[in-house]
Amino acid sequence: MTSSEFQKRIDPFLDNEVDLATAQEMQQHLEACADCETLFAARLALRHCLQSPELRFAAPEALRRKIHAQLREEIRSSSANFNWLLRLQFPNWILPTLAGAAAVLIFWFGSATFPSPVRSSNRENNTLIGQLVSNHLRSLVGNHLFDVASSDQHTVKPWFAGKLNFTPPVFDFGDQGFKLIGGRLDYLGNEEVAAVVFQHQKHYINLFVWPQNQSSHLADTILHKDGFNLSGWEADGLTIWAVTDAAPETLKTFVELEKQRMAE
Amino acid sequence: MDLPEVELCDRLRFLPMNDQERLTRFESEMLPLTTDAYNLARWLVQNDQDAHDMVQEAFLRAFRFFRGMREETSRAWLLRIVRNVCYDHLRKRPGLSNASDSDQENLPDTKPSPEAALQTKSEITAVRSALAKLPEDFRTVLVLREMEELSYREISEITQVPIGTVMSRLARGRQHLTDLLKQMRAKDLL
Repeated sequence: MTSSEFQKRIDPFLDNEVDLATAQEMQQHLEACADCETLFAARLALRHCLQSPELRFAAPEALRRKIHAQLREEIRSSSANFNWLLRLQFPNWILPTLAGAAAVLIFWFGSATFPSPVRSSNRENNTLIGQLVSNHLRSLVGNHLFDVASSDQHTVKPWFAGKLNFTPPVFDFGDQGFKLIGGRLDYLGNEEVAAVVFQHQKHYINLFVWPQNQSSHLADTILHKDGFNLSGWEADGLTIWAVTDAAPETLKTFVELEKQRMAE
Repeated sequence: MDLPEVELCDRLRFLPMNDQERLTRFESEMLPLTTDAYNLARWLVQNDQDAHDMVQEAFLRAFRFFRGMREETSRAWLLRIVRNVCYDHLRKRPGLSNASDSDQENLPDTKPSPEAALQTKSEITAVRSALAKLPEDFRTVLVLREMEELSYREISEITQVPIGTVMSRLARGRQHLTDLLKQMRAKDLL
């Protein structure tokens, strides 16, 4: 081993990150070469300084208490949002009964009465919107907001690339107050869709993306359902829906940013 | 039909853990890591108040996505969140990230330990201020490697760069640090 070979690997050697054979060679060289030995000794001395306890900041006890209090506040406020649902105590028989009744109603109204195309496309949309809201809600209450957590679009975008046969738009609008925080795979009906997740102050925005359906066209839509705001549009052969509990104006601003960036 | 409430109730009833269980598990697993998180944040943002905010934010984020995990990954996971929170913060105030020398008086009390007594105090002070002057990317890998004693693989996961990059950042960081220390010593001698 030459000195320059040794010096190229001096850091992994110091960090115990070379294989055994290389480590042995390097050790032999070290014993034979005074220059490299000096260099290595300097590295060791530097490590010794860096590892001295004086350089390590200990967490103040107050910080631990603050975190503890903050987490309690977090579950208190998040459970307040959903408590009313949890507090409802359903007898065992009521869920199947309701579900049965619902199925009968859907079947009755849906199939027989008005088979007009307008109505059926409305119904499709209604189901879609219900699903979008419920997917959004599930992402928040189920602790599964994303599969890949990153505010870097160059991390999130390639992550999707390996998993879907289309490319969802992934941008970070952190400067405008809409921070990219991650992405996940989601299902709408049986279709795999991309969900790109943004944060605006304390609100989350799920951006659901899937390939556009050739047979029907979605006009730009903004609507409100069950306390959530939704906005849908089509661009670049993709159908895109943004769902959030943030205010309608906020959603509008966000959607404008997305559209603008996608058009660039 | 509106959002199927029945279905929603069903889902909520089958949440894997309730909040209280989740909190208890999270705290027993993650709170002991506060010092690691604080040390990294403090070295990255270089002031005490911001470091507090960063660690709190990181814990909050971690809690929101906590689903219970194996112990060996939780430290790297938390440190990755801390690192991301700090980098976001630093990005918002470019130019200030390395202006740290004025912060010296904010450092914690240094009670000399037996090992450190062997070192001259000035040497440690010199290393401390040299490390504070390094660009963030180098400072991050050095803190993770030397103080947290993490492997290249773990550091690569935390900083989200390839292992080769970790290796070269460590090498360049140490070289940089050595050069800075030489400069400082030369100045002292003049």
